[in-house]
Amino acid sequence: MSARSIKEEKECPPEKWRLRHPYGWKTVAILLLLTLFLPFSARRVDVYKGLRMSAEGVADASGIREDSSVGRGWRSFFDAAFPLVLAEKTAVARIENLNRERLPRFSTIVKEPIREYDLASGEWKVTEEVEYLVEPFGYLLRVIRLMLDTVEIALWGTILALLIALPLGYCSAKDYAPYGVLYGLARGVCSLHRAIPELISAMFFVLMFGFGPVPGILALGIHSSGFLGKFFADDIENTPPGPQDALRCIGANQLKVIRFAVLPQVMPQYLAYLQYILERNVRTATVLGIVGAGGIGMELKGRWDLSDFGHVSTILLVVFLTVLLLEKLTQRVRKKMM
Amino acid sequence: MLEFREVGKRYGVSEVALDRVSLKIPRGQFCAVIGPSGAGKSTLLHTVNGMVMPSTGTILFSSIPITRKTLKQIRPRIGMIHQQFNLVDRLSVLSNVLTGALPHLSTFRSWLNLFPLELQRKACDIFADVGLEEKHLYRRASDLSGGQQQRVAIARAFLMNPDLVLADEPVASLDPKISEDILRLLRDASRRTNTAVLCSLHQVNLAKEYADRVVALHKGRIAYDDGAGGLTEDVLAEIYGHSSSVRDRAVHRTKMSQIPMSPKREASAP
Repeated sequence: MSARSIKEEKECPPEKWRLRHPYGWKTVAILLLLTLFLPFSARRVDVYKGLRMSAEGVADASGIREDSSVGRGWRSFFDAAFPLVLAEKTAVARIENLNRERLPRFSTIVKEPIREYDLASGEWKVTEEVEYLVEPFGYLLRVIRLMLDTVEIALWGTILALLIALPLGYCSAKDYAPYGVLYGLARGVCSLHRAIPELISAMFFVLMFGFGPVPGILALGIHSSGFLGKFFADDIENTPPGPQDALRCIGANQLKVIRFAVLPQVMPQYLAYLQYILERNVRTATVLGIVGAGGIGMELKGRWDLSDFGHVSTILLVVFLTVLLLEKLTQRVRKKMM
Repeated sequence: MLEFREVGKRYGVSEVALDRVSLKIPRGQFCAVIGPSGAGKSTLLHTVNGMVMPSTGTILFSSIPITRKTLKQIRPRIGMIHQQFNLVDRLSVLSNVLTGALPHLSTFRSWLNLFPLELQRKACDIFADVGLEEKHLYRRASDLSGGQQQRVAIARAFLMNPDLVLADEPVASLDPKISEDILRLLRDASRRTNTAVLCSLHQVNLAKEYADRVVALHKGRIAYDDGAGGLTEDVLAEIYGHSSSVRDRAVHRTKMSQIPMSPKREASAP
């Protein structure tokens, strides 16, 4: 405030001081625009239809209404989702070199008849018996193995993201980027990496690297690095300048200032971001398998397409438990490191 | 050891922070810089380590003119103590002290946090000299009181035996009792190591008591430069541009300084 305006205010008695209204014309204009735009947009994206169908679904579930589209859809999944499928049943004929004397632990061989409809007699007849190897927790173990693959993909994706984000974050921080051009470039790269969804980049990487975990790792690493780079840069910029000045003014170079006056201050936030990105990558990696980028996603998509909802429930349960476990684990690690 | 030759500094077109300041500070002298707010005390200090570059005049440090080119050579020989301590809150107290040696350590070693054992022992000695104990070594800086944090800052400034220590209002955030302790510590450290101290202060009574020499600035010019004994009521009235109650002003400032304030960037890096 200039000296003149201070003087004017001093001359003006307090009862005549101008007080600002809590809501300015800008706020009113924004609210008005939203009031006009949202109903229009809601019609375009079927919000009203969604609300109506949800209400019907709730009425169906509470017995007020007999049937609803939402209820039918939900029941078609829910009725087949339980019990969870834990066992794996494989035709013995499809297993090479099966040693019947030394079956896998807890496994048994069962015979199941194959029935065919006889047109002449009009009855179902047993035509042959097929042997199956039944492993009681075989499917669960397979899902766990696939989930471990998924977690590993997510972990390597996060490591790759960190490796890209550290230099990217440094160059994206004002006052730290060695050149102005580099600052603009680094910010641009961050935005670009964030803008490409993992599923799309995974499809490209599958074209380049073939099916398997590598496209998944690359897709996750590149997308997450956009977020991490931006978060890192913002945190570096918001670090208290005092300790940095204190080191600069005794002749410490930029790298030393970063190491001692910036990193210790931003470390808790960095760890929080990494924890979030890892969790997010685990969740996303489960979906990436759909396009062939490794992990549990492929199994999930296959089972869903076959309407094997019992298997789907097992997969979803394992995914949920893994994410929960990972969250607890990373929280503990973070607490220890802070 | 430190010489200002007709040093001037302008911010923008009209604001004169320093106006043809000439000073010589010999090794081992404790020189207090007093004056009202905006008189140019902080600017004077910041021109020495290049946080602010003077507009006119020359500053010589051990006969070396301070320029952007010579800063790299000069800065490691100057320690600095700040009003808001400027410690790294999340680092241990020992690490904070050791950061005083960063300019003398390779970037590789410092990144790996590999400070030589002798240096760590020396940090412990200085740590004890400033009245801190072993139990404080691995505490976080943020866990210490304001007075203790300023002691850590003094230890950091004196770690590498600097030729000069700049103290920018080192007691402005502390209560009167702690302020006296800190200034006594600073004076003792200066005498023990024969280090010159250039210390800006708001409290005239403290400047009178602890400084070997008092330089008063008024509107960027030197209004007084002598021993503390010559600071009479008339001289102080001339410095502060007010006829009465200079002492009250000093007391008021001390009280105001106890109100916690958010850290403020005093000067931007060159």
